[in-house]
Amino acid sequence: MTPKLDIEPGSSTAYHTGDWRTRQPVYRNKWPPCSQTCPASEDIQAWLALATEQHWQAAWQKLTERNPFPATMGRICYHACESACNRKHLDSAVNIHAMERYLGDRAITRKWSHKPVCDTPQTQRVAIVGAGPAGLSCAFQLARHGYPVTIFDAQAVPGGTLYSAIPDYRLPKSVLASEIDAILALGIELRLNSRVGKEISESDLRDQFDAVFLAIGSQRPRQYPGKESSRHRVMSGLEFLHRLNRGEQIALLSERKPKHVAVVGGGNTAIDVARCIRRLGAEVTVICAQDSHGNHHRELGTEMPASLQEVIEAETEGVQFIYRAGIRRLVRSGEHLSGIEIAHVDQVYDRHGDFNPVLFDGTEEFVPAGLAIFAIGQETDWQGLEQLSQSTQADGVWLGGDAVSKSKLAATAVGSGYQAAMSIMADLKGEPFVFDTHKKAQITFRQMSLHYYPKQSRHEGEVSEQRLDGFNEVETGLLDDDATHEARRCLSCGVCFMCDNCWHFCPDAAVIKKAGGYGIDDDYCKGCGICAQECPCGHIDMERLTG
Amino acid sequence: MKQLLEGSQAVAEAVRLCRPQVVAAYPITPQTHIIEHLAQQVANGELAAEFINAESEFGAASIVLGAVAGGARAFTATASQGLLLMTEVLYNIAGLRLPVVMVCANRAVGAPINIFSDHQDSMALRDAGWIQLYVESNQEAVDTLIQAYRIAEACELPVMVCMDGFFLTHTFESVDLPTQAAVDDFLPPFHFVRTLDPADPMTLGGGSEADNYQEYRSAQQAAVEDAQPVIEAFDAEFDDRFGRAHGGLLQAYRLDGAETALLGMGSLMGAVRDVVDKLRDRGQAVGALRLRCFRPFPAQALVRYLSGVQRIIVLEKAISIGAGGILASELRAALHQAGMMTPVESVIGGLGGRDLTPQVIESVFHETSRDEMGATFRFAPDHVMPDETDHG
Amino acid sequence: MDKRDPFRHNVLTSGHRACSGCGEAMAARMVTDLIGPDAIYINATGCLQVFTTHNQQSAWQAPWIHSVFANAAAVASGVEAALRAKGKDTPVVVQAGDGGTFDIGLQCLSGMIERGHDVLFVCYDNEAYMNTGVQRSSSTPHAVRTTTSPPGRLSQGKHHLKKDVISIIAAHHMPYAATATIAYFPDLKAKVEKAMRIKGPRFLQILSPCPLGWVHDSALSVTVSRLAVETGLFPLIELEHGELTGVMRLAEQKPVEEYLRPQGRFKHLFGSKAGAVELRHLQALADARIRRYGLLDADTQWDTACAMQSVRHGRGGYASSMPTSEAVKNDT
Ligand SMILES: Cc1cc2nc3c(=O)[nH]c(=O)nc-3n(C[C@H](O)[C@H](O)[C@H](O)COP(=O)(O)OP(=O)(O)OC[C@H]3O[C@@H](n4cnc5c(N)ncnc54)[C@H](O)[C@@H]3O)c2cc1C
Ligand SMILES: Cc1ncc(C[n+]2csc(CCOP(=O)(O)OP(=O)(O)O)c2C)c(N)n1
Ligand code: SF4
Ligand code: SF4
Ligand code: SF4
Ligand code: SF4
Ligand SMILES: [Mg+2]
Repeated sequence: MTPKLDIEPGSSTAYHTGDWRTRQPVYRNKWPPCSQTCPASEDIQAWLALATEQHWQAAWQKLTERNPFPATMGRICYHACESACNRKHLDSAVNIHAMERYLGDRAITRKWSHKPVCDTPQTQRVAIVGAGPAGLSCAFQLARHGYPVTIFDAQAVPGGTLYSAIPDYRLPKSVLASEIDAILALGIELRLNSRVGKEISESDLRDQFDAVFLAIGSQRPRQYPGKESSRHRVMSGLEFLHRLNRGEQIALLSERKPKHVAVVGGGNTAIDVARCIRRLGAEVTVICAQDSHGNHHRELGTEMPASLQEVIEAETEGVQFIYRAGIRRLVRSGEHLSGIEIAHVDQVYDRHGDFNPVLFDGTEEFVPAGLAIFAIGQETDWQGLEQLSQSTQADGVWLGGDAVSKSKLAATAVGSGYQAAMSIMADLKGEPFVFDTHKKAQITFRQMSLHYYPKQSRHEGEVSEQRLDGFNEVETGLLDDDATHEARRCLSCGVCFMCDNCWHFCPDAAVIKKAGGYGIDDDYCKGCGICAQECPCGHIDMERLTG
Repeated sequence: MKQLLEGSQAVAEAVRLCRPQVVAAYPITPQTHIIEHLAQQVANGELAAEFINAESEFGAASIVLGAVAGGARAFTATASQGLLLMTEVLYNIAGLRLPVVMVCANRAVGAPINIFSDHQDSMALRDAGWIQLYVESNQEAVDTLIQAYRIAEACELPVMVCMDGFFLTHTFESVDLPTQAAVDDFLPPFHFVRTLDPADPMTLGGGSEADNYQEYRSAQQAAVEDAQPVIEAFDAEFDDRFGRAHGGLLQAYRLDGAETALLGMGSLMGAVRDVVDKLRDRGQAVGALRLRCFRPFPAQALVRYLSGVQRIIVLEKAISIGAGGILASELRAALHQAGMMTPVESVIGGLGGRDLTPQVIESVFHETSRDEMGATFRFAPDHVMPDETDHG
Repeated sequence: MDKRDPFRHNVLTSGHRACSGCGEAMAARMVTDLIGPDAIYINATGCLQVFTTHNQQSAWQAPWIHSVFANAAAVASGVEAALRAKGKDTPVVVQAGDGGTFDIGLQCLSGMIERGHDVLFVCYDNEAYMNTGVQRSSSTPHAVRTTTSPPGRLSQGKHHLKKDVISIIAAHHMPYAATATIAYFPDLKAKVEKAMRIKGPRFLQILSPCPLGWVHDSALSVTVSRLAVETGLFPLIELEHGELTGVMRLAEQKPVEEYLRPQGRFKHLFGSKAGAVELRHLQALADARIRRYGLLDADTQWDTACAMQSVRHGRGGYASSMPTSEAVKNDT
């Protein structure tokens, strides 16, 4: 046959170079470190991606799938997500909590409502004890899936510790209330002033409900063990905050208005208390057994548990800190407290990991104080719940939140509420429960090509100048423009963000772009590995072909 | 209308009549006058073509290659060193089957460098896949050029019109230039099927391997072979329209009843005809045969014309160093294939511009078999004085 | 648009026989898809021609012709002249390797530029004659191992320097000449598009790593080309009418060793005294180029960091319409 002088365009596609391949690129979503670290397991990358496109409501919906408290959490969560964010290896972490707050605030002002996931109502009833974040998170998930839920809480207002202890300047009551209302609007029954074990008996609960979730928090303050305590001049941090939140600002410091207040403890509660006291007009010293941030002794003890951000804020507001100090005794002048004798702390925790400081003799100092507030931890109050507390999932009882978890954080409570809800639903349906299997494929910045991302500074909310004038919020939220830009700072670790790199760089046109994604044309991919090498976010894996 | 024109100018006028859209060239004696005239025509607005001053003959050939592939009629001209510098591209044009037309103003090849005429340059390109037409006069150059475009475009083959440098290019002769209208009637507007065009994208000049390379070559050979009747037909049609023919593939002179045939190409044939006349006057049975078309090599036609003669003398203006006369070798092969044992004497002469005078040609006729046994060719004698050859 | 991919033309499509990870294939795909199928492409002999056309199969989806090694620029001159004669303005593009540009093709290229043909000449510079098996060309950098510049007892690879072809080209005072490379697609795109807006002869020299000849992992073609720029060894510049009009600033200068290490063609330089001298020489060459073009202090926003930007939802690359996210913007 006479060969043709003009060759058909594109006729090379008859030749399948895919046969050359010994390695195979695979597109695979990874679970970014932020989500890995977020106690509520939010799909942060996903909702930030929607925010980059200004699909605000879709972003909010994506976020609230895991955490129905964005406005709240964006204000008070200590955002472990950000310390894990890969972006810190490039410039600074994405301001995830500010984005979260932005979406939450937007939802509140625009009165967005949660949509049920499932329209068919379920018949099995679930009781939840405690209207804190754990209980509400669990109720939210169950209600979304059509389960009738009743929440019992001993208090007159829902919100648990978020309501009762966190001061207004960090979390305005109205914000929390709006988010709780949106959750309850899914058709959740809330019974306030109903302490289980008192107003309602344990057995009633067991009889009326198919499952029970216990989320009663840790609300009993650990007391100062010293014998010399004066009833009037010594108080627990929790009591102080509860009274403050109930509106007792004036009364708190009115009796012989102390000039100096000592706060004992190194946790966030201590800082909250100290900052509140500054707002009430007194000087305050925080006495903390641990080291300050970044200065901790390698063999002994650890850093103070309070969040660095909170400490910085407190320092800015004039709070004094004494580190590595333990209490020897309270010093009284007559009826009244005059101060605290402190001493240097050597070891903070004992062999069992319990807080048990060793004080060195001869290092004593005096700290003047007319009032001492002890914020040295809380315990769970199991009174009246003796049966339920001994029950297990097999008995239809789930436990969660502060009451059982080691890390006492609101987001942890939300996460445990979510987990309990999923487990309860699986149990009620008789299905096995598997939790977040996708968490397995993690992604570190080393698997990414960070040079593809331009450096961009982080956007922050404004900080109020008149912060000490009252209990108004210190920080404002992000501006609209900043929110979009901040969302775009997300590197989209392990999740394709359609940058087109693989599509552009494939020398063999083996990456095909389709509406909404990319695919590999196996007929032509030679397995060079360029797409995987040049994917900024590590979404592509090269796998060896066997045989 | 008859005009007295220098050969180069006559060719340039003929080129103009063919309406090339792109002319590219690089100067080399004796081609220079052709392109100078063309440049002037373009400058005067008489020829609507892109005149491209190439940076070398290699470039010039490549430019016309591109021009034709780009869908335009194109022209170039060169000689000697220039033609050899084009070699790689000329093979390529032929392989791509592009209808390029060029003039080779035949000239010797160095070293030693020599600007005068012989056929060594175009002979070196005989295997390149080009049709080669050797003209005898300036009138024939004009007419052949017009025919060349018709042939090239009909056969999708490149055509080289070979005219002797100086003897034709620099000689003034009376030439009848056809009218534009008549040429337009004879030569349709340029059309090439494999034109590079986004509307019909195609790949030209792709790679080939053992699987099909030979098939490409055999198709090319067949196409050149098949050009023979086309060349004859267009010469005949030209005759009908313009009243002039040039013999198609070859042209016989007083060959009827001839015992000896003198065979040659190009301008030297005028002198050969004079010698034939002179010898006929003296009772010698001599005729002449002019090969106009060297590629394709018209073996059958040659055999037909030469079947009656007993002696063939081939006058050649080129040599295949280490072998001898090229034309004679090919003729011998043709005769041999036809079962004819007619002796063919190969006489190489006229190299580097030396005159093949009637006296020399006549002396060649008289020198019978003076070669040593086994020699396939001899060189023509040096200048022969008129009296020396005058045998009486 | 291409049958298989609705978002681009794939002027150079799949099924070509380039080595796995070929930088030249990648570069040619980028350039030709940016220009599109409504152009006429002339190719010099070399890898690109060989791996795209093979025994009656072609990877090209635009009019394309190959003639010989040296003459691509002249063929393009002819095509362009033909189009001009016919009153058409179809773009004409030459593609050639460094051999077909710096060496054997330089004369035709010079002629094409001098005569002012409206042609874009693209040189895929892989710094050697790759198609014939990695022989040195005048583009091969100093001290590189090739099959005709082998290191030995008396040699540390190529003795001579890489020819500064862009200066030679720019000396023609032509409208536009620029260097680019595959790692910086936004830069390459801007240059191709700019070149396509300008009339007259234009020249692009695109550094195109060759895994076979440079002896690096096939996955590293883009990485290596980026390092060539970041070390200063391959400055990205633009020249208009002979004047330097643009440089891509180095956000940070990397030591040449980072570029040389992953490439086997420099391997012989590591671990010997004589090799160390050449390493210092190469570093000095990079430093000199940085000084010459002001790569560290140029007054421009365009630097190696910003030219790397990977933008969400495509870079507005070849296609006009990009896929949009499914999510709805209902925000009331
Ligand atoms: C001062 C302070 C500041 C804090 N700041 C932060 C912060 O900034 N960020 C952060 O992430 N975390 C913070 N936390 C911790 C956070 O508030 C808790 O981790 C979180 O509220 C725990 O949620 P929960 O639902 O498990 O329990 P809780 O919020 O404590 O809710 C438990 C609820 O159960 C109810 N209840 C208890 N017993 C019964 C019963 N028998 N019957 C009915 N109801 C009952 C209680 O009334 C309460 O409403 C702070 C805690 C304190 C004390
Ligand atoms: C006139 C001529 N000389 C030599 C060759 C052999 N040859 C073909 S391609 C090539 C090298 C091509 O090198 P380059 O232009 O850099 O392109 P690459 O293959 O590296 O892409 C050579 C030497 C040829 N085809 N023609
Ligand atoms: S809940 Fe906390 S850890 Fe999780 S995303 Fe929000 S701020 Fe980050
Ligand atoms: S860059 Fe985005 S996905 Fe990556 S860790 Fe940070 S927030 Fe998460
Ligand atoms: S870049 Fe293309 S050829 Fe290389 S591995 Fe990826 S899909 Fe395959
Ligand atoms: S290279 Fe870009 S488009 Fe390709 S998978 Fe990675 S993020 Fe997605
Ligand atoms: Mg090369």
